[in-house]
Amino acid sequence: MDIINLKSLTAPKYRIIFLAFFLLSKINAQKIESKEKKINDLEPEIVVPGNFSSPPSDAIVLFDGSNFSHWHHSKSKKPVRWILNNDKSFTIKPGTGYIETRKEHESVQLHIEWKSPIENKGEGQTRGNSGIFFQGRYEVQVLNSYQNSTYPDGQAGSIYKQYIPLVNSMRPTGEWQVYDIVFNAPKYNYSGDIIKPGSFTVFHNGVLIQNNVEIKSPTMSIEKDTRKTLMIQDHDKNGTVSYRNIWMRKI
Amino acid sequence: MKIKLFISLFFLSKLIFSQSQIDKKKYDSIKKYWLELAKKYEVWDPEPKKIEPGIYGSPPSDAIVLFNGNGFLKWHHSVTKEPVKWFLNDDKSMTVNEGSGSIETKLEHGSIQLHVEWKIPEKVKGEGQLRGNSGIYLQRRYEVQVLDSYNNRTYSNGQAASIYKQSMPLVNASRAPGKWQSYDIIFNEPSYDNNGNQIQAGTITIFHNGILVQNNFKIEGTTSFIGMHETSKNAFPLDGVKGGTHRSLLIQDHEGGGVSYRNIWMRKI
Repeated sequence: MDIINLKSLTAPKYRIIFLAFFLLSKINAQKIESKEKKINDLEPEIVVPGNFSSPPSDAIVLFDGSNFSHWHHSKSKKPVRWILNNDKSFTIKPGTGYIETRKEHESVQLHIEWKSPIENKGEGQTRGNSGIFFQGRYEVQVLNSYQNSTYPDGQAGSIYKQYIPLVNSMRPTGEWQVYDIVFNAPKYNYSGDIIKPGSFTVFHNGVLIQNNVEIKSPTMSIEKDTRKTLMIQDHDKNGTVSYRNIWMRKI
Repeated sequence: MKIKLFISLFFLSKLIFSQSQIDKKKYDSIKKYWLELAKKYEVWDPEPKKIEPGIYGSPPSDAIVLFNGNGFLKWHHSVTKEPVKWFLNDDKSMTVNEGSGSIETKLEHGSIQLHVEWKIPEKVKGEGQLRGNSGIYLQRRYEVQVLDSYNNRTYSNGQAASIYKQSMPLVNASRAPGKWQSYDIIFNEPSYDNNGNQIQAGTITIFHNGILVQNNFKIEGTTSFIGMHETSKNAFPLDGVKGGTHRSLLIQDHEGGGVSYRNIWMRKI
């Protein structure tokens, strides 16, 4: 488009040099743009989900509304200071830090329900951001992705920055959402190297959104003292997300 | 090989005797003999742990609803392709009409997420494989077993939610006869080369009443009563029609069945 306008430039000599520069810069910009576009174009299709579930007899109930006895602060290991609500749920108290289960886990089936804050503050990643970290390192993203665009590999149900959900099966803001997750832990050899990568299968409100995807790497850098716990992210002022009915089964 | 021979003999005999209704006594004695063989040769240990399941789900917006109680529009007889003669009930369910033959979807499918609900008759009859037996065949090739496995022992890899004779369920999540049960299945179809030879095995993941019972199981081949599992895309799918990767979803009419179904939907994945 701009190329036509450029023809109005007077001296033909300069015109060519200018054109060359212009094209070069354009190509560079396009490279960066297309990289972003490639991911952004793959936005998952929206489907409206059905209903879902309660803990089976062999489940380890991690949260049923009564207290935080299975949890503590992930750094200090002190009692959880998040808000316990009357409807058997809890809400993140921004800025207080992540919480984690007291116990570590291996391969599990996890059921967890969550709700984005009703007031739509922020956009993209700053709207109802939280996350569920398996073994303290692999994140399944929690975000308000109902009519809220962001990079698809960072939207609700993504394996953060690794896998885009197959579809977007968000319920509207303020409604409870359900994840049913199969996490197969990576297998290690004696020297601690991964010999078989872990995998995720995720249902969001009963709809398959991650189909046995192979985990590439930890979502964030692991420190020496990173335990293999289930962790819930406090994304500071971006997400006063609520949770309820959390249970897992060893598989 | 001997076992295979006995088993094939059993099914052959079943075919001949049950269809012509002759010599019921002989059939019963063969059946009894076969049950003894099953006791001896099938996999019974370990027995999947029993657990109580929670509650489950309805079709999402992108689902292909295969059965919602309104009729058999999406189905026909699996061999004759004639209209379905199974019973349509008032509670939006259907019941197998024993002896009328298996039914299949008119549509053929590839990789899918499938939801099916099923119920064993409240008044139980028979034992082992003859109590509430039916099955859901993915692409007419791979059977997910339907059976009353609530206080009804059979070989582990032939109980409810097994990939029949290939993979036993991780746990036994069965509900009592007369109660509705659900399967949520992820089926990733195998891939084949141009000659129809399998290059990557298919996989099956199953939640039985919301509980993971098959964890991305690599399918060994077609469910076969006689002979070895087959992996070529030309492998039998029960009607002798060869070829075609995508095949129908089939629900089995099996002796000692009486199973009901409702709320069947799938999503392409």
